[in-house]
Amino acid sequence: MIVISAGTRNLRSYDAQLVFATQLAERGHDVCIDAASLPEGTRRSRTYEAASLLVDRADISPTAVFVLGADELDDPFLSTLWEYGLGSEVPVVATGRFEDQQAYLAAKAKLAFSLGREAEVIDLCQSQPRAMLPKAVNPLVAARAPRARPMGRTPVVTVALGSLETDEEALLPHLSRLNNRKEFRLQVIASGKQKEQIKSTAYRDLPVLHLTELSPVTFAHRSDVFVLFGQGIAGERMASFAINLMAAGGAVVDCTENRAIVETGAPALRGPESLMALENYLCGTVVKSLGQIGEQVAHSPWQRSIDIARLESAAGLPPPEPKAEPPHRKVVFFPTNGVGLGHAQRATVVAEALPTGTDVTFAAFPSCIPMILRRGFDCLPLVSRSDSHETPIANDILTYRRLQQVLYPGDRLVFDGGYVFDSVFRTIQEMDLSAAWIRRGLWPDSPSARIALDREHVFDRVIVPSEAFEELNDHYSFGNRIRIVGPIVKQAERSPQARATLRDRLQERFGRPFDKLVVSMLGGGVASDRAAHSQMLSALLAERPECLHLIVVWPNSTVSPTLHNWPNTRVVQTLEATALCLSADFVISAAGYNSVHEILYHRIPAIFIPQSAPYLDDQTRRARALEERGLCSTVEETDFLKLERALRDCLDGTAAESFRRALEAVELPEPGTESAARLIAQDWEAA
Amino acid sequence: MSGTRVAYVVEPRFSGGTSSAVAAELRVMSECCPVVIHARRSAMFGDTQGMAPVLHQTIDALGLPVIWDAPEISADVVIIHNPSFLKFQQAFGARIFARQLIVVTHENFVRPSGIEAFDVGACLAQIDSAALALRKCLAPISTYNRATVQAWLREHRTTIAWDVLDADWFNICETDVAEPTTTPRDRRGRHSRATREKFPPLEQLDLCFPVHAESNVLLGANFLINADIERPHWTLLPFGSTDVDTFLDMIDFYVYFTTPTWRESFGRVIAEALAAGKVVLTDPDTGAIFGDAVIPCQPSDVDRIIDGYLAEPSRYVEQALRAQPVLDSFSAASFRQRLCDLLTNDAEAAG
Repeated sequence: MIVISAGTRNLRSYDAQLVFATQLAERGHDVCIDAASLPEGTRRSRTYEAASLLVDRADISPTAVFVLGADELDDPFLSTLWEYGLGSEVPVVATGRFEDQQAYLAAKAKLAFSLGREAEVIDLCQSQPRAMLPKAVNPLVAARAPRARPMGRTPVVTVALGSLETDEEALLPHLSRLNNRKEFRLQVIASGKQKEQIKSTAYRDLPVLHLTELSPVTFAHRSDVFVLFGQGIAGERMASFAINLMAAGGAVVDCTENRAIVETGAPALRGPESLMALENYLCGTVVKSLGQIGEQVAHSPWQRSIDIARLESAAGLPPPEPKAEPPHRKVVFFPTNGVGLGHAQRATVVAEALPTGTDVTFAAFPSCIPMILRRGFDCLPLVSRSDSHETPIANDILTYRRLQQVLYPGDRLVFDGGYVFDSVFRTIQEMDLSAAWIRRGLWPDSPSARIALDREHVFDRVIVPSEAFEELNDHYSFGNRIRIVGPIVKQAERSPQARATLRDRLQERFGRPFDKLVVSMLGGGVASDRAAHSQMLSALLAERPECLHLIVVWPNSTVSPTLHNWPNTRVVQTLEATALCLSADFVISAAGYNSVHEILYHRIPAIFIPQSAPYLDDQTRRARALEERGLCSTVEETDFLKLERALRDCLDGTAAESFRRALEAVELPEPGTESAARLIAQDWEAA
Repeated sequence: MSGTRVAYVVEPRFSGGTSSAVAAELRVMSECCPVVIHARRSAMFGDTQGMAPVLHQTIDALGLPVIWDAPEISADVVIIHNPSFLKFQQAFGARIFARQLIVVTHENFVRPSGIEAFDVGACLAQIDSAALALRKCLAPISTYNRATVQAWLREHRTTIAWDVLDADWFNICETDVAEPTTTPRDRRGRHSRATREKFPPLEQLDLCFPVHAESNVLLGANFLINADIERPHWTLLPFGSTDVDTFLDMIDFYVYFTTPTWRESFGRVIAEALAAGKVVLTDPDTGAIFGDAVIPCQPSDVDRIIDGYLAEPSRYVEQALRAQPVLDSFSAASFRQRLCDLLTNDAEAAG
């Protein structure tokens, strides 16, 4: 493996290592970064970026070593190099920007003393006499691989705000106008402070990214035009983005106050210094000429100065082989597990409705896997978040790695969940996936909901399964990618005869006759503890020998042992709760999306006890909508007296029958399962 | 005593061999002629580092005048020690007037691979442009150092043709060889400053100091200690943690290899080991100046050679005693003679 190292251990060097390693990996080289070179204080995004590159010292067997920033070689690094004990067959190539010949010779000597032989030291000042950043550790090179422009039907324009003030009155309205142009799709790169400011305004729908959220290589891959504002180039990542884009025949528009890019001789366009003038410049000059601009950029002599092939050749690396065609395209569903299995269940319902022959795979957390396998799908196991992990993102980093292993460019990722994990966010962009987000509504009013919307722009389609009743369908975002479909619900047919047969089997299974079958599904206690409710229901039903009460939970759920002692109550762990509900006289359930819609569409009388947690959807609002239509009874989680009354009304009164009649009469929208499946199977580019 | 006025131009803050060599030399020189010390504060050491103690003590003891950073240096003979102190600056910073200018090349000009060891051209150019002298000479300090100077001159163009003195401007060394042991044991060791270039790759160190040796003592092993190199059969001692005589008492074989990409220009540590009556094994380049007083070899040969001496202790004694005539040639008396020749020639040249 090729080790990418740096002369000093700090964030700037580490960034350079990450970018260069990513570039070589993109070209098919087996690269790594010594995990010991991870500097202190590495933040979240860099941890993801490094995840596929870090290797423990003991596992490193270098075939070549690159040393970046050789103009500054500190002692720990030189010790590391000495400790590698590299054989003479392992090429060592160092890059640096040396102030003078003495600095060059000193670096050469230091490396030679550590290696016991000479390294090849490349003075980048020779090839890049007017570098964008004269002190950059990053060699500021790129793979010269011009692509047809624009890459997709709609060009992508990325605007880096630089030092522009986002609280300037006209700036955000202008960005918003750019965002609404049909000629291109906008993406904004802002500092943390700028992003925060933008998100706190009415312009929060602007697609804003922080520069470290993605590698410069990925930014370049996903842009046709890169526009820079402000004073100079804000760091090596920014410079690397510009260079990678120009190497790929993209257009860089230098709107900096000091002409930071055009002054280097790079084939960039000189744009207006004012953002207000950008719209006309982009629409009138740049976007419609991307093809010609790309031609000019690709043939610029400047390209030779940034050619990564020179470094590859210095290290004796073989030229990259053409990338193998990925296996036939597949659809990968990634449902989060949330509280219950709602996301996974919905995803399997949609997956089952996809056209025959669609290659479908799941990636899911352990709690969902048995259900997914039972539905006949392959499943890549993921690891759930745990407090025992070293960091809160440890499991998501593993998810990120696994998604990268299972997915190929061109595959389609279907994510069903409330919060778009970094793993999903990054994988879609880095692997150039087409992606859909199945995003049900009724969000709680919390900041996390708004954060989730921040990442909506990486999805080509956002499929919104609607609620059955219109007043529940809030609209959180707008635009061409949003597709609202009917409620996605698993529908099962059950004839009266089948219902009777199942009830007979239950009598036989539990060794006792019953007249009334009551099914309770109050959840696994992750979001809200329902032990008291289950105990109470079991106690009330214990007085009624004509009743069989089934507490239905998912397999592997934690169930209080005391529930097993009630005379008329049985605990059933099953993936087939719907079948039991269809055979029940009535159901007592939490009010999650799937439970409510399955009960509603199967017209089963029910008492709902909504769960409440900051990260859950608004179950109370959903249950109330049904209750207001006389379709169910709704009981607040603390209202035990009402629960007792509702239970007695169903058992002794006419409530259950009344609900049943109302359910038979209610008009429900067409389920959206087929529509969702069609959307997922569609060619979005053509559409 | 000669009437020739001699000016020594030194960066007195060099902490290693240069200052020790100059200090030893001043004792001899000051007996021969009037000497003035011109101390130069170069960009190499910043503003905080002080004069090397060995030099400070010697200058004080001899009562020699020291002039710091004079704008003009004038003498019959100006001797500049170790021009590499100029490598981090653009100009010498003074004018030099002399009949003869001698630049003592304490550092090798090129490394074994042929790569310049420092920006020699820039340093010599600073001196050349600052100096008005009838003769400008380079004075190598050893056989190997001479070879690097000549190699550099062959490969590089300079504004003037520097003369290279015929005789080595050697470091003055202790010359009394201690009685060697007649019952040598496989007790090996090395001593050096703690810088990286003084150490060969780890696999070579392993060959030199194997587990089957009775003891292996490495003095100045700071960076091995810092790198957590674990060899239970090695005794790793930080530089300066014990005095050199005590260390030499702990060994019978001095095994000294550096990284293959660097060579000692003189090898004072080897001279010290020879004077202590030890058998010295080192690479042929480093050993060249010591002739047959050292065993030139490679790390892979070390075991075999030591086994041979252990099998025949008389050979050990014989080898250790070969050091005497070699060390005699590095004596103060030899250096005095060397100086007399130089100053006589200078006086004759002055007419």
